[in-house]
Amino acid sequence: MSYQLTIEPLGQTVEVEEGQTILDAALRAGIYLPHACCHGLCATCKVQVLEGEVDHGVASTFALMDFERDENKCLACCAIPQSDVVIEAEIDEDVDAQNLPVRDYTGKVIRLENLTPTVKGLWIELEQDIEFQAGQYVDLHLPEGIGGRAFSLANPPSTGKVVELNIRIVPGGKATTYVHESMQVGEEVRISGPYGRFFVRKSAEVPLIFMAGGSGLSSPRSMILDLLAEGFSLPITLLYGQRSMAELYYHQEFLALAASHPNFTYVPALSAEPEGSSWQGFRGFVHDAAIAHFNNDFRGNKAYLCGPPLMVEACIGSLMKGRLFERDIYTEKFISAADAQQVRSPLFRAL
Amino acid sequence: MDTQVTKKKLGLKERYKLLTRDLGWETTFHSREEVFPYVHYEGIKIHDWDKWEDPFRLTMDAYWKYQAEKERKFYAIIDAHAQNNGHLNLTDAHYLTAIKIFLQAITPGEYCAHKGFARVGREFGGVGTQVACQMQSLDEVRHAQTQIHAMSNYNKFYQGFHAFSDQRDRIWYTSVARSFFDDALSSGPFEFMIAIGFSFEYVLTNLLFVPFMSGAAYNGDMATVTFGFSAQSDEARHMTLGLECIKFMLEQDPANLPIVQKWIDKWFWRGLRILALVGTMMDYMLPKRVMSWKEAFDIYGIENGGALFNDLARYGVRAPKGWGDAAAAIDHMSHQLMLGLYQWSFGTAFHGWIPSDDEMEWLSAKYPDSFDKYYRPRWEHIKKLAAAGTPFKNYGLAKLCQTCQLPCVFTEPGDPTLICHREIDYKGEKYHFCSDGCKEIFENEPEKYIQAWLPMPQLFQEPLKGDLGAWMNYVSLVDGQDNGDFDGSQDQINFDKWRGMATSNK
Ligand SMILES: Cc1cc2nc3c(=O)[nH]c(=O)nc-3n(C[C@H](O)[C@H](O)[C@H](O)COP(=O)(O)OP(=O)(O)OC[C@H]3O[C@@H](n4cnc5c(N)ncnc54)[C@H](O)[C@@H]3O)c2cc1C
Ligand code: FES
Ligand SMILES: [Fe+2]
Ligand SMILES: [Fe+2]
Repeated sequence: MSYQLTIEPLGQTVEVEEGQTILDAALRAGIYLPHACCHGLCATCKVQVLEGEVDHGVASTFALMDFERDENKCLACCAIPQSDVVIEAEIDEDVDAQNLPVRDYTGKVIRLENLTPTVKGLWIELEQDIEFQAGQYVDLHLPEGIGGRAFSLANPPSTGKVVELNIRIVPGGKATTYVHESMQVGEEVRISGPYGRFFVRKSAEVPLIFMAGGSGLSSPRSMILDLLAEGFSLPITLLYGQRSMAELYYHQEFLALAASHPNFTYVPALSAEPEGSSWQGFRGFVHDAAIAHFNNDFRGNKAYLCGPPLMVEACIGSLMKGRLFERDIYTEKFISAADAQQVRSPLFRAL
Repeated sequence: MDTQVTKKKLGLKERYKLLTRDLGWETTFHSREEVFPYVHYEGIKIHDWDKWEDPFRLTMDAYWKYQAEKERKFYAIIDAHAQNNGHLNLTDAHYLTAIKIFLQAITPGEYCAHKGFARVGREFGGVGTQVACQMQSLDEVRHAQTQIHAMSNYNKFYQGFHAFSDQRDRIWYTSVARSFFDDALSSGPFEFMIAIGFSFEYVLTNLLFVPFMSGAAYNGDMATVTFGFSAQSDEARHMTLGLECIKFMLEQDPANLPIVQKWIDKWFWRGLRILALVGTMMDYMLPKRVMSWKEAFDIYGIENGGALFNDLARYGVRAPKGWGDAAAAIDHMSHQLMLGLYQWSFGTAFHGWIPSDDEMEWLSAKYPDSFDKYYRPRWEHIKKLAAAGTPFKNYGLAKLCQTCQLPCVFTEPGDPTLICHREIDYKGEKYHFCSDGCKEIFENEPEKYIQAWLPMPQLFQEPLKGDLGAWMNYVSLVDGQDNGDFDGSQDQINFDKWRGMATSNK
């Protein structure tokens, strides 16, 4: 049986499975709670329980003392909810987060289009409007026992009932193969969402850099369309990497946007375009394009990175060497089952 | 009835800001440079102290409340341990060798850390930093005290505990840890943070405390386990302080990178030398073993350290220079140092012994590439000599490394049969080193290390003038009681007798 866990001051609610810890549930839902040892020893993950019951598990009596248990504190890394629970954690409120509720939606496929040889555009008309922040993703539920997979919304929030997903085929991948080969217009689909904390920190009022690779264009596209539509006037730069011209979907759209919006700069980069083709733009990886375009100095910006883990990692390294650091970098990694989780140190919180 | 309007609670960040705002006043009598004179001379450039975050945001009153409660709990357990003859629940009295080394070499380091953090808390600008350093300073003095108190019960019954502070200052195998802390204490504030806050608290702490504490748990030493838990609840704050400091330096100015890199290289190597002592303890001294030193290094060194250096690479930091040499030395370090400790066991304030057949089996299994080939034959030979009544003792004195102060017992990176020696002539004097790592550290700051106090040369100076008996008095070592073979020692005889009384009707 599962319980609801509400995390204050975010006000966000997530599901907790039987036997799952508060920390695990929060991290899986994309909510960072401070933690270090994960074994009830260091007390880094201490949180206040406002409502509900928890089992303290293996919490050390030195890391969580008796008087703290009496005050309803718990260690998130080993506390297991025994009822619906509300906690208050040491997280800074994010003024740009709208904390929109996650809902289940049903809809119909209204359009399918090959955007490139490997990316399929999928348009779904939902039975009701979905409210989300540009940059967030949904879980797409597929039949034949495939289950749910994460895909970012490629449309801006203003399109109401109609949502767009751009789905790259993964060799041997069940869900993406289904979308590419079996899905039909008119078919009924279910999505749930919106999920994720990848959205523009508009309140910071600084110039924005977007770096997208592969199918990672979806979120930045939604974010940029949203920003331009509402008249955001600071500089926006999109660095967009694909292998070749054939893969460079929405290229014309961004050229047109750049022409009509003086504050929007578009920098496409191709990493495997055949030698001697008609391509006049940058050749190489997206992080190299960024270094060249910004002359290796990213200070004063906020950067939003979206795409495959390797690309995101390369971009983080380049940004940091160009003096933009964790507090100004936001990422969405398109992780699939094939990406083994790398062991990370506690040096960075969320990067 | 009126409903009460609930005021929106302040966020933690705001609350902390309000609680600490009066600590960060603008100085008017003197310039900031005069008030904080030490933050500049190391060459580290800082532009904005507010960027150094203290993510814990713990206030002083909350801190007192927690620590007081920890003390209460700790002493309740320690008292119970003493009253229930906890010292007879050990697997064997030779386990205490590990604890003697800990008390002589490591506990005084806690005290040094306390002094160091008190100092840098004053020297750094920035309120969050000052508060965090002050708390760590208090934590460290508490660690030193609780460790001494936890082990004081053993002092009532066993040898070698009575003079740990003299031995810390004066004896030879503890000087690796003493010189590490002396070096850190006499560095500038930022280097101190890399030495203790980063290298010691993050890179080394798991390798040091986890083996000792789990060794204690495996061998029935509840006193040590208890201070381990009590100290571990402070560790996250310490580790965070070190990590925040290194990030802060790297983010403040690109000119800081080469300075930080040099410190990382230096303090990694110095830390590895302390770990030789820990590795020896793990592989040879615990009656019931937890894991081998090599296994511990694979998990905490290669895996966790590797993850850290991967992350630091984003700033342009590379893995410490000695990383490769360290990995190559892991198969050999503990064996080489143990052979040293055995042959000079007349000069150690703990007992030595030849590993049993069982223990040698375990060592071969844990070190398939090195033990049977290089070290078993030596122990077999030593065993033969002991059986013939002519035990192998080396009455010559060890040559100490000028930097790490361990005897030069380690071998060349590529050849485990050749002792590694390095030498430098500096201002008409010859200096000796155990490794390239230690030699390079000297070369970077020769004027610092020529002042190093080394225990072996001291023996030949006033007032000892080479008299071994006088030296034993000087280091508070009682010959025939604290030192020599465990077999036949008072520790062994008493433990067996008392345990017999405690577990039978005799
Ligand atoms: C937040 C988020 C947003 C995303 N947004 C998008 C988007 O907008 N567009 C997009 O195209 N993609 C996006 N992705 C990636 C997308 O979710 C994956 O590509 C998708 O889940 C793959 O599903 P699949 O069923 O096709 O592949 P799966 O069957 O899940 O497997 C993927 C690959 O891994 C292999 N594999 C499976 N299990 C293992 C295993 N245990 N070990 C090793 N290999 C294994 C498979 O053979 C296959 O090659 C996003 C991912 C995340 C996390
Ligand atoms: S993360 Fe260390 S106690 Fe929970
Ligand atoms: Fe400590
Ligand atoms: Fe050395």
